[in-house]
Amino acid sequence: MKVNLAVYWTGGCGGCDVSFLELGPNLLGVLSRVEIVFWPALVDTKREDLERLPPRSIDFALVNGVIRTAENREMAELLREKTKFLGAYGACAHLGGIPGLANQAHGILESVFGPNFRPAPPIEGYPEDAPAQVLFEALPLEDVVSVDFVVPGCPPPAGLVARFFQAALEGQISLGQVFAEEKALCEECPRKREERRITRVARPHEVLLDGEKCFLDQGVVCMGPVTRAGCGAACPKAGMPCTGCLGPTPKAGDPGLAMLSALASLVRAGEEGEAAFPEEDKILDGFVDPIGTLYKYAFAKYARSLAQLTKRREGMRA
Amino acid sequence: MSGFEPRIVAFLCRWCAAAGADLAGTSRLQYPPNAIPIRVNCSGRVEPQWVVEALKAGADGVLIGGCHPGDCHYVVGNYKTRRRIYLLHKLLADMGIEPERVRLAWVSATEGARFAQGMREFLAELKRLGPLHENGGEK
Repeated sequence: MKVNLAVYWTGGCGGCDVSFLELGPNLLGVLSRVEIVFWPALVDTKREDLERLPPRSIDFALVNGVIRTAENREMAELLREKTKFLGAYGACAHLGGIPGLANQAHGILESVFGPNFRPAPPIEGYPEDAPAQVLFEALPLEDVVSVDFVVPGCPPPAGLVARFFQAALEGQISLGQVFAEEKALCEECPRKREERRITRVARPHEVLLDGEKCFLDQGVVCMGPVTRAGCGAACPKAGMPCTGCLGPTPKAGDPGLAMLSALASLVRAGEEGEAAFPEEDKILDGFVDPIGTLYKYAFAKYARSLAQLTKRREGMRA
Repeated sequence: MSGFEPRIVAFLCRWCAAAGADLAGTSRLQYPPNAIPIRVNCSGRVEPQWVVEALKAGADGVLIGGCHPGDCHYVVGNYKTRRRIYLLHKLLADMGIEPERVRLAWVSATEGARFAQGMREFLAELKRLGPLHENGGEK
């Protein structure tokens, strides 16, 4: 018995679609057991084909990308209707991802072109030539439809994709499952932790990095302590700090604020005390891009509602 | 904004600020009743997530009261808090929220008057800033 599979790409870069190739030879085993009923990036299937399917006839659907346009939302709703188990695949669908950082602006088009801007078809063009209707906010999938499981990552690492397919083919997926560990990334990171003291906050290109030592010990912000394990610490092994693409551990909660808290506790300018305050502040001032560092992938899910508060107030005063 | 009464959540350290607030009360000092006090064992226990949660949930400002430098019952808790709030201020400013809405104050157990005065000042500051939420936070 083959399993019906659909894969769809909303507001993303396409890397998630390519990430299936990382399975290598195992991909052949997976493909022999799935029936691809809808996957526009891979096989010739159109929206009409999806509309023709009876409800709940797809066993598993994977949506990658952020929900950015009205069409994205319609497709997500359509897939939800036709699918038994719908999953968020990749950081954009899971957390909003890098496109989710657009939520810092109060409506991305409105903030650039003014409050009354509406996309329109070109003069003497057809209505369908109009640019896509861009939503006011870039949303993670769960804000539009109910999501049954998550395959996290940017893009999801091969090991986690394999874990998903194994569970899917055996019918072993539970609702709410996230295909990554609940422990923190640090637990599978080979780097050595020593001082746990930060005397300077630096970005990776500003310091000559030691290949063996923990990034935090070297003053480079690494999201490992608040991020799920599951990738085998791929980035730290390759010489770059973790940026948090697998999303926060269940204990961390809001990953940005959890990391902010951890970072502040590690900063030291000599003996702690009132005399050290100015020096401590100087170290903390070295942390130049809090939003981009702490919420590289998770801004839409965790910080959007807070940032929008102030934007609404601006509207209220105007 | 004339009728605007800011809503404040106050996290108060058990050893100093909460004791200071108690003293203000038992001394019958008058101060504005806008704050919901939450007693914590140490200001170092106050997670930035709680502060942001309070702002999201409808507060216009958050006060964190801890011991004076050198007085922390757990030796260094208030130093950690100070650094966390310093970073949180930077993050809030980047999001377009006035950092002044989150205030860290040192209050000892004997400073009831200082607590009352700090509350009055914070309230005045929040009234100047105006409401954080639409409709003053009413859903």
